[in-house]
Amino acid sequence: MQYFDPHIHMSSRTTDDYQNMAAAGIRAVIEPAFWMGQPRTNVGSFIDYFASLVGWERFRASQFGIAHYCTIGINSKEANNEGLAREALEILPNFALKEGVVAIGEIGYDEITPAEEYVYQRQLEFAVEHDMVVMVHSPHRDKKNGIIRSIDVAREAGVPMNKLVIDHNNEETVDDVLNSGAWAAFTIYPNTKMGSERMVEVVRKYGPERIIVDSSADWGVSDPLSVPKTANLMRERGIDEKAIELSCWGNALAAYAQSGQIDEEELAKPAVIDQRQSYNDNTVLRGQQPRVDEPVPN
Amino acid sequence: MVRELLTELMEERLSDNGRIFWNKAQSELQEGAEGQGFAKLLALASRYAKRQPLGLTETELAAAEGALPGWSPRAWNRLELLRVNLILARPDLPGDSFERDFEAQFRFADEGETCALYRSIPLLPQGERFVWRATEACRTNMQTVFEAIALDSPYPVTHFDDTAWNQLVIKALFLDCPLYRVSGLDQRLSPELTRMALDWAEERHSAGRAYHLGLWLCLGPHDEARVLRLLTDHWPSASETERAAMVLAAERAGQQAWLASVEPQDPEVLPYWQNAKEGRSDQTQFAPLFADDHSAQ
Repeated sequence: MQYFDPHIHMSSRTTDDYQNMAAAGIRAVIEPAFWMGQPRTNVGSFIDYFASLVGWERFRASQFGIAHYCTIGINSKEANNEGLAREALEILPNFALKEGVVAIGEIGYDEITPAEEYVYQRQLEFAVEHDMVVMVHSPHRDKKNGIIRSIDVAREAGVPMNKLVIDHNNEETVDDVLNSGAWAAFTIYPNTKMGSERMVEVVRKYGPERIIVDSSADWGVSDPLSVPKTANLMRERGIDEKAIELSCWGNALAAYAQSGQIDEEELAKPAVIDQRQSYNDNTVLRGQQPRVDEPVPN
Repeated sequence: MVRELLTELMEERLSDNGRIFWNKAQSELQEGAEGQGFAKLLALASRYAKRQPLGLTETELAAAEGALPGWSPRAWNRLELLRVNLILARPDLPGDSFERDFEAQFRFADEGETCALYRSIPLLPQGERFVWRATEACRTNMQTVFEAIALDSPYPVTHFDDTAWNQLVIKALFLDCPLYRVSGLDQRLSPELTRMALDWAEERHSAGRAYHLGLWLCLGPHDEARVLRLLTDHWPSASETERAAMVLAAERAGQQAWLASVEPQDPEVLPYWQNAKEGRSDQTQFAPLFADDHSAQ
């Protein structure tokens, strides 16, 4: 079956990852704009980063037969550099409406400061004005409170709940998100966040409706094969195939295709690597052994 | 004339929603949309046209060639067609304001927009204003962007200096592009270009790698001894497609004696050999040999 990883920072990953992902059945990814592990010092860094998300990285993914979409947004952490964040807000419209940009994101709260709230609200307004989906990053600390607040503020701004995706959920937050009508995404991460085994139990308990599995793999210890690995564990543990299909493909597609920027018909076809976009040696995907037999540890 | 043709081609292929967008965009452009407003139109075009091939008819292809020799939109997609129409609909094309704003658009352009911006360059008035920008496309790492400037366009052969022109041709060879679509290649097969192609062939040979088919389009009537050695050495191990290209190359490089000596038996090679012997060896003769060139349809 084919998989959709709707949250993964491919700019931080290698071509080995792309090869293994393609071989494991990952057909499409969404790369949300986020921080780079260290703070940016000028707006030019945002410009070049956003430009690479809609340019070079998309091209790079296509060489492996993976459809690459992205979200554009000012992340919560850097919202606290107020002067820079305002400059970044000014150039946001230059990128947010581009082809293949499926949402405003990942935005929301980190420390839940007024500066973060300001940047979050401005971006919600932009999303509403342009009828866009919103991808919300939920904070590591004070997560539950942060999630409730991000939903309330989004609702106030006029974001329809079916266009709101709350990410990095866990067993403690999923009820609030599902009850609000928003989509609940889960990041499967080794050691922190969710592991595959816990994810299986969440799907068993809540069913697949509005549940989305992603890897959020980035420059830290993380696993770009989290989605297929988790799907395999679900299968092994007797989760219904339909539920696997929804949580690892269909739901993400339904949520983000509301952007009008995903050609679902094209995506349903098997991947065709455009000869003109491929490496000279077009055999890059052969002989790869995807390591999907082991689940992601907790 | 090209403008009218492009508008016609687009309007026949637009959806109803696309037509509404196009009409609205035209009035915004007439009212002076530029900068972020112009960028927004180029971006939003992606909601109204997809990256599907144009599927041009023979008549349409001929009309394009007639409108601007050396130019063809055969590899464009529908989204690019809409975007180029948006660019050409600006009322200030000859002015300084356009020149500045056009350059500024590249800073925020995604891959698809970048290709469309480059595709518009051969169609802009006073094309010499954009030479630096066009050479910048040749420094890209994305083949789609490179081909947007390099193929099916008379712009490089008209405006590039020798360094830029040679780099373009050799990069097209490196990337295994269909070189017969580099317009004006036959007119600018300089000794320097022939030498660079021969050097490239030697590097490939030392590395034990196959030649790209484009090699055989890059050899002019220069460096006779080296060209002859390349032809002679490679012939025994060459594929049929390569042999067909090699007999054309020999004629172009003035290697008539070698050409007469090979006498190929293979039915695939024979017609090319006959053509070559009768002097029909211009770059378009190579087209059928690039059979996997899907981008040309």
